[in-house]
Amino acid sequence: MEKTRVLVVDDERDFVELFINRFSKRDLDVAGVTSGAEALDYLDQHEVDVVVLDVKMPGMDGLETLQEIKKRHSFVEVIMLTGHGSVQSGLDGMSYGAYDYILKPFKIDDLLKRIHKASERKLLKAKGGA
Amino acid sequence: MRSERSYELGPLTELVLRYALPGAVLIFCVLSHFAEAWQSVLMGLALCLAVLVTAHTLTSKIRRISLRKSELDIQLIQSQKMAAIGVLSSGVAHEINTPLAIISQEAELIQHAFGRGVLEGLKEAPEIKDSVAQIVLQVDHCREITHKLLSFARKREAISQETNINGLIEDMVQLVEREAKLNNIRINRKYAQGLPPVVTDPSLLRQVVLNLLNNAVQAIQDGGEVTASTGLEGQNIAVMKFTDTGCGISKDDLANIFNPFFTTKPPGKGTGLGLSICLTILERLGGTVSVQSEPGKGTTFAVRLPVGRRVGQ
Amino acid sequence: MTLETSVLVVDDEERFSSNMVKLLQVNKIKAKAVNSGEAALKDVAENQYDVILLDVKMPGLTGTATLKRLREAGCSAKVIVLTGHASVDDAVELLNTGAYDYLLKPCKTEKLLKMIGMAHEQKMMEDKGVS
Repeated sequence: MEKTRVLVVDDERDFVELFINRFSKRDLDVAGVTSGAEALDYLDQHEVDVVVLDVKMPGMDGLETLQEIKKRHSFVEVIMLTGHGSVQSGLDGMSYGAYDYILKPFKIDDLLKRIHKASERKLLKAKGGA
Repeated sequence: MRSERSYELGPLTELVLRYALPGAVLIFCVLSHFAEAWQSVLMGLALCLAVLVTAHTLTSKIRRISLRKSELDIQLIQSQKMAAIGVLSSGVAHEINTPLAIISQEAELIQHAFGRGVLEGLKEAPEIKDSVAQIVLQVDHCREITHKLLSFARKREAISQETNINGLIEDMVQLVEREAKLNNIRINRKYAQGLPPVVTDPSLLRQVVLNLLNNAVQAIQDGGEVTASTGLEGQNIAVMKFTDTGCGISKDDLANIFNPFFTTKPPGKGTGLGLSICLTILERLGGTVSVQSEPGKGTTFAVRLPVGRRVGQ
Repeated sequence: MTLETSVLVVDDEERFSSNMVKLLQVNKIKAKAVNSGEAALKDVAENQYDVILLDVKMPGLTGTATLKRLREAGCSAKVIVLTGHASVDDAVELLNTGAYDYLLKPCKTEKLLKMIGMAHEQKMMEDKGVS
């Protein structure tokens, strides 16, 4: 089976590097960027299954990025990452089509499970559409 | 929508039916059949009793049936209403959005003219500017509404996956908990152990759960408790209940809470779309949502979903 | 930035398209309006545009059909779809058939200007062979 392709989007470069480091060891194909605009550029050029997206970013924030991703790459599943549990951003995120939500700090295995579920959904969706 | 009230006879009616009526029959029997055998008296009594019992059970049964029927009616009407609103909203949004777009363009052009100084020297200039600014503001409000209607009409496809209901609810509880704590609200968990995984669309179900939890927390003004519980009804129905000790919902409001744009929250605090979105989603997932509420004491929303099995398993 | 942008507005609602032209001109964008897909195709054959603002629901050629014909005719202008219609699904379909982006009517002029700017930039990059 092919590796799940994951893109992590977070304005903290350290976090992105840590993320890539940890998840590459878990048999995922991981890339990272540090802004919403970069994420959209990346998605224009690469196939991605799951995006892990920080809600709170300067410039184009997570919710805006989410809407753009869903507009242009509706097959990509998005997991929102938040350090502050804001109910309203949760509600908005879900109505814009985020697949799942995880609070920081999180356990690697917990997020890994969610990534696998999200990529399963993407596969199922592709099958249903065929 | 389900107001649970046990069937009761009024005290006076009960007195009349239980004692006075048989008594009267008894006296009548005794008088008219003075010397006749006690048999006929007993017959009369038995007859009275039989009629009473039958009447009593019949009334309560009819009452129960009509309650059930009206529940079904309400559900049916509600789902027809939602479908109609979906069609209506896309039509209305289109018809309204174009004129709205033109109004906002005109206002903007007027503002540009102001910028070029066309109002110079005019005493009423500030008033006119204020009026145009209001037009822009109000068109913005309308835009928000029509755009929300559009997102309401948008259909999201449901993709079924095996879902751990307790885990899903716990995620959403954690999201709500921080804000709840600030308002002295405690969230209790009563998750049933050993629940089977439910085959449903988890991202849609999360939306339902978060909306209901958020409502529960917002129903409590100052300190209280919200309880999230899960369980199984029979073998195939998973039940999720969200109970709050908040302000409750009046009977009049209960009939309306699932209607789009109905809200009891202050303006700007809620869109009035949360519960209707929940209802639409649950219909798509083959589930139901019901509510019981007592004003001043609290409310319980119950979501029922078939445990289901994915095709091919 | 002194980027000269030329825009064609295609919308069957005359008042909307003429207002749009005025608003774009106020913001220093060269603009022209036509009121049908057919007229747009005819105009594009003679004039060059950087960006086309296209309505979805029009009598005659719809936005979707117009977009297809524009591409077949080798028009390289970036197309921004403006829709008042509920069907975001249609708009997504348009994105898949090569529209640059879409906006719901009524849209903020500010947002539209930003989008036009970005579309034009991308077109220039493509014209220069950077991509």
